[in-house]
Amino acid sequence: MIVDLHLHIDDLPALGWKLEAAECVRRMDEAGIERGVVMTIVDAPEINPNALEFVADACAAYPGRLDAFARIHPWYGEQALALLERAFALGFKGLKLHPVSTLAHPAGRETLQLIRSAAEHSAPTLFHCGDEPLATPLTVSKAAAACPQATIILGHMGGYFHVDEAIEVAEAHENVVLETSAMPYPGKIGEAVARIGASRVLYASDGPACSPRIEVEKVRLAGLPPDAEHLVFSGNATRILDGVR
Amino acid sequence: MDDLGVDHAIVCPVRTRGYHLAASNEAIAEAVSASGGRLTGVARVDPLLGDDACAELERALEALGLRGLFLHPWEETFRIADGCVAPVVEVARQHRVPVIVAAGYPWLSEALQVGALARRFPDVTFIATNGLQLNISGLGQIDAELAIAENENLLIQTSGVYREDFIEGIARRFGAHRVLYASGYPIFDPRLEIRRVQWAAFAMPDEAAILGGNAAAVFALAEG
Repeated sequence: MIVDLHLHIDDLPALGWKLEAAECVRRMDEAGIERGVVMTIVDAPEINPNALEFVADACAAYPGRLDAFARIHPWYGEQALALLERAFALGFKGLKLHPVSTLAHPAGRETLQLIRSAAEHSAPTLFHCGDEPLATPLTVSKAAAACPQATIILGHMGGYFHVDEAIEVAEAHENVVLETSAMPYPGKIGEAVARIGASRVLYASDGPACSPRIEVEKVRLAGLPPDAEHLVFSGNATRILDGVR
Repeated sequence: MDDLGVDHAIVCPVRTRGYHLAASNEAIAEAVSASGGRLTGVARVDPLLGDDACAELERALEALGLRGLFLHPWEETFRIADGCVAPVVEVARQHRVPVIVAAGYPWLSEALQVGALARRFPDVTFIATNGLQLNISGLGQIDAELAIAENENLLIQTSGVYREDFIEGIARRFGAHRVLYASGYPIFDPRLEIRRVQWAAFAMPDEAAILGGNAAAVFALAEG
């Protein structure tokens, strides 16, 4: 079984992007992925005030195949917190934050409020974590340190140039989980498992634009022992998703 | 190469622990000579060395038999559109060889910076690594497309590209002749990198061109 913790759906004419749930499921099927987590590109309530309903409807169309993370802009304060609560009422399984998109610092007061609110539901916060300012592993680590009760997932595990730093951050913070999407080095997945344990590394694709099939192949090329590969492909994601209240 | 069915490779000098790119160029020439025709080598110089860089490139192309110029703005620390680069590209132009640019590095070889250099030398073929952008948000992709649109002489390699649909889109909008498979080894893993092409949605003739035909044309491999 494979669970993909990072897929996108949205309809953004300004970007020329129309990412549909059907395409996510098609690409999941192509890659042998049973369950996927979808989220928008935009940060609610910006651009699309009905983003939560858009995602919830997509998940409802594929019961058992798709779960949802709520991508929310922290600067909306109380409105953002209310959106997150509404998301959990709709059955969402986590929070997604993209500081490069929102310009909200990972350890800013508004961001920490959202992370802590998610943690009250035992829900994880997935951060975009790459090479850009506001999103490097050390920057996101400030949020992990401020919210030790929260599960902080470093999406892309540091991108191109910050992968070693992401592993170091995970070594320093036990509430940090590394997520493999788009990061281009199979060997670093094996290194991460060796250094922080297989229970804190999980597969994702950042699909459907990134190929879930290629991303699966990347994990396989890491050559993990079978029990570790099982955790990375599905065990860890299932434990996190099914633990959300 | 054998494991993946790769017949031929273009090899570039790596940065040495010292500062002896001439020695790296010689090592490449030796590797090419020992490869039984499976490797084609390109020369690496540091444009900041001015006349010495031009002289080394002349030597590498004429005496060592290398077949292109490789520039790494990140590792040698120069801006690809800086004036210091023009003299070595002029040497490449005079020898009718392509220029490979390590691209996508912030501040030094961003897509439009590479495009600016390509515009100054319309009769030189430039090949940008990494699809012209190394950004895991995809923030560099629009500039990459603009640079490709503005410069017919600018091609991209597929190594390490974020989002396979970017590669597919470039081939669809600008022609498959603008895209070349590359592994970027040893930075990237060839077992994964070749899948970016093999598993992309290319028509069969396009896939063959990207996997080999385009490189054969650019580097005149049949003449080698």
